[in-house]
Amino acid sequence: MDCFLFEAAGDCRGIEARYIYRIADDAKPVPVPLLPSCHVGIVYYRGDLFDVIDAGQLLGTHSSLSAKAPRVILLKWDHRKLGLIPDRIVGIKWIEDTNTSQTAFTREGLAIQMITPGEIWKMLSDLPYGH
Amino acid sequence: MNRTSIKNKLILSFLALLLIVMVVVGAAQQITDNVIAALGVSAALALAAGIIFGGVFSRSIVRRLNSLSSVAKEISHGDLSKEIPFLSRDEIRDLEEVFASMVNDLRGIISEIKDVSARIDETGRNLGVQIEKVLSNSLEIDDSALAIAKGSETQSLIVQKTSFIIDRSLEQMDEAARQSVRTASKANDAVKKTEAGEANARKTLHYLEDVLKQMVDNAEPIYRLSGKMEEIKMVMGVIEELSQKTDLLSLNASIEATRAGEMGRGFALVANEIRSMAENSKNSSHEIRTIVDDIFKDNKAVIAALKKSEEDIEKGRGIIHGIVDTFGEMLSGVEEISTEVREVGDVARKQVKEIRGLLNQVQELSRLAQENFISTQKTSIGTRNQKEEIQEIVRAANALNALSQKMMETQQRFRLRGA
Repeated sequence: MDCFLFEAAGDCRGIEARYIYRIADDAKPVPVPLLPSCHVGIVYYRGDLFDVIDAGQLLGTHSSLSAKAPRVILLKWDHRKLGLIPDRIVGIKWIEDTNTSQTAFTREGLAIQMITPGEIWKMLSDLPYGH
Repeated sequence: MNRTSIKNKLILSFLALLLIVMVVVGAAQQITDNVIAALGVSAALALAAGIIFGGVFSRSIVRRLNSLSSVAKEISHGDLSKEIPFLSRDEIRDLEEVFASMVNDLRGIISEIKDVSARIDETGRNLGVQIEKVLSNSLEIDDSALAIAKGSETQSLIVQKTSFIIDRSLEQMDEAARQSVRTASKANDAVKKTEAGEANARKTLHYLEDVLKQMVDNAEPIYRLSGKMEEIKMVMGVIEELSQKTDLLSLNASIEATRAGEMGRGFALVANEIRSMAENSKNSSHEIRTIVDDIFKDNKAVIAALKKSEEDIEKGRGIIHGIVDTFGEMLSGVEEISTEVREVGDVARKQVKEIRGLLNQVQELSRLAQENFISTQKTSIGTRNQKEEIQEIVRAANALNALSQKMMETQQRFRLRGA
């Protein structure tokens, strides 16, 4: 399967490419108060609103917002929309089918932590809100 | 005075005795006819008369001889005060007169001997005193000679050391004089070199001004290069942005191709290639930016270096102006030094000459001190010998005193008239 690879929180992460809607580079998230710190804001992109999440802060401990003009990975699935700001975008690679939560390897031998948009959504849902 | 000799007396006595015998014989022949009796009486009378006459005569001679003998005995005991009695006019009278004359002469001799021994005694005492003084003076002379010898030795050593030091100083001063000549020569060289240095400094100043002008001219393209670099950086920014947009476009194209499934495989490959190109372009632009940045930094460093060089050259120009002035001052200073060094050399040579004379005098002094030392050594030996001789004289004077004492004691045995 085609897998979209990016780096966040020091690891190479992979999401199935069919969930990727677009890569935006000029998105300017608008902050939303009382949301967790990893929630950067919301972006309006071609008629849709996307929640933009700092992937480094969500999946690890350090922020991925250090880049001057960060790119946003826009995901669409099951009528849900989410934007992820990674440390770096690697690209689309072909990997053998595997369980989504397991570690997979590219042909070049690169280890990838597979993650699904649903798992990201669940992680967001588990965060405390309103503080 | 007429003298009667004993022989005449004896002859006269015999003739008188013979006359008496003849008278007695004649008388006896008158008285008696007995010849024999007359001869016997005559012989007896003649014998008696002979005995009486002989006794009186011999007694007279023996008495005078005994008197003379007793006087001689007293004289032999040293009593010269006795007078010799003159009792007759015969040969014994001659003996008495000769004896009296001898006693008189002996008195004179003893008296003279007494005077002489008294004078000898006094002279001996004076001689002893004088010898003591001479001995004391000799000892003082010996001590003084020893002190002078020691002083002469020390003086000789000091003079030798002084001579050595002066000799060494002379060598040093000689060397200093030669050095001053060399220094004067070098000072002349220094004058020439300073003049050449001043000329070179002026040339360097002109050359430096030319270099400064050339540097200003040459720096113009470098300053323009800085502006060009800024333009290149702007262009590079555009290229980088373009490559980023291309990368993003190819990424989205890949996503779209993936979403298209099998139909989009070929397009995905093209998108990947485009992304790869964009990536290469980005990397190249990064490299170019790095190179341009390096060139920009180098250019800035060159400009800074140029400005610094201009400042340094400006400073150098000031310094060289100072050097030119300093060369002028050095020239006058070196000329003064040269004159002074020549004067010092002249003074040093004069001093060398004078000190050489002084050294000769010191060497003469050293020789005199050595001679003085030898003389004082000889004096010391002489005074020692003199001391021994004086001690010998003292012993002789003591012996003389002892002899004069003995003579005094001996002549005291003689008693003179009126003493």
